[in-house]
Amino acid sequence: MYPDELKYTAEHEWVRVDGDSVVVGITDYAQSQLGDIVYVSLPESGDTIEPGVSIGELESTKSVSDLFAPVSGVVTERNEQLDSTPELVNSDPYGEGWLIKVRIDDPAAVASLLNADAYRAQVAE
Amino acid sequence: MSGDQVAPTPLITSPLHERQLAMGAKMAEFGGWQMPLEYANGGVLKEHAAVRDGVGVFDVSHLGKLAVRGPGGRDFVNGCLSNDLGRIEPGQAQYTLCCDDATGGVVDDLIAYLRSDEVVFLIPNAANAPTVCERLATAAPSEVEVLDLHRQFAVLAVQGPSSDEVLDALGLPVGHAYMAFVDAEHEGVSVTVCRTGYTGERGYELVVTADGAVALWDAILRAGEPYGIRACGLGARDTLRTEMGYPLHGQDISLDITPVQARLGWAVGWSKPSFWGREPLLAEKEKGPKRVLRGLVASGRGIARPGMRVLIAADFPVGVITSGTFSPTLRKGVALALIDPSIEVGAEVSVEVRGRREIFVLAAPPFVTPGVREP
Repeated sequence: MYPDELKYTAEHEWVRVDGDSVVVGITDYAQSQLGDIVYVSLPESGDTIEPGVSIGELESTKSVSDLFAPVSGVVTERNEQLDSTPELVNSDPYGEGWLIKVRIDDPAAVASLLNADAYRAQVAE
Repeated sequence: MSGDQVAPTPLITSPLHERQLAMGAKMAEFGGWQMPLEYANGGVLKEHAAVRDGVGVFDVSHLGKLAVRGPGGRDFVNGCLSNDLGRIEPGQAQYTLCCDDATGGVVDDLIAYLRSDEVVFLIPNAANAPTVCERLATAAPSEVEVLDLHRQFAVLAVQGPSSDEVLDALGLPVGHAYMAFVDAEHEGVSVTVCRTGYTGERGYELVVTADGAVALWDAILRAGEPYGIRACGLGARDTLRTEMGYPLHGQDISLDITPVQARLGWAVGWSKPSFWGREPLLAEKEKGPKRVLRGLVASGRGIARPGMRVLIAADFPVGVITSGTFSPTLRKGVALALIDPSIEVGAEVSVEVRGRREIFVLAAPPFVTPGVREP
């Protein structure tokens, strides 16, 4: 449920490093807690993002949850598929349900995020 | 005795609780009961679609159950609750309101099953059942008793266009008129099958003694397999009822909201000589309500939620959202709001959604065509 090769945040996002870029999504735990996701609002390509700042929203039939930037950088791509099929975040949170790609300012910042074991421990609490 | 620490009241569970946990239900609190919100491998959207297109079964055992009985029981209830029991015959049920006598505010909305001139069975909301029971018991003449049977019965709602096939396979009566009920038996246990529901689809609500609930639940799920039946939680029940514009007590109606404001005048027997709240409600009807419950449909992708402000022009507040969700059928936001009565259906308003303005159009519910009355 929480792939070992990913990094995680306390706000239930995952980050996959790919050179000087990262792919960002939400975890299986987060999608399960939200329930059926019906609307995803994401930042645009070119937007600058800062950790801890809300950059979008994930809305389910029941509730809405802010999306927080896990790292600082510039958005290079947003998952356009989610505009018409937001349910991909539920069905494939680590694959087709990815949210944004970010060119990161400081690759070292990713190292300070949670590893899979630490995230599992947080979710188990 | 130390009053420092009060242990939290444990939540009440349905007779089907173990079954639901085994089905991976995600549970939530509703009116002091722990009930399924949605089921594993289901979710609100799949459960909603099952009811609109096929069939779903809900456990709504948290709903209250009261029996009023004794000589003149029907007349007694008719002098308290808003709707006119003279409009129906024994064997029929009726949507009615328990209003506060002083203010006309809605204490609860409920279904009254008229059994005879002596016996009326009531299904109030879970959280309000004790209040309704107490108000009726206090007002009742000595020969009429008001019994709280909350835990003695379970209520299963079988809802959707394939409901008849499922109940028919169990040998239960189907096809009776909308709002009519028939007493039956399932494996030796009494079941009342009422053509009612809270989804807007054709369907039935089954009132069964608590000890027969598990066998009936299992039998419904088995008989429903060929029709793709799903166990449905209260999450889907909320999206289904919101698409119909059915009010939910505590949101769209409450002690602070009258039936005149909620446009529930059809559930009030205006010509009756007495019912709780008659004077204030007649006065408000005459004068015109200061706010009315309206439907809203999103023009964009905004989803309104209870408590959000409704605005016109640049910044002028005209009301507040009382219920709001994503409509799985329309794939956009729908809502109910208490709004200034001068703003008419078709008008464009904006809703303040977390700092943004989202455009909605005032509409008359239901937002989706209901199938409840189909012969």
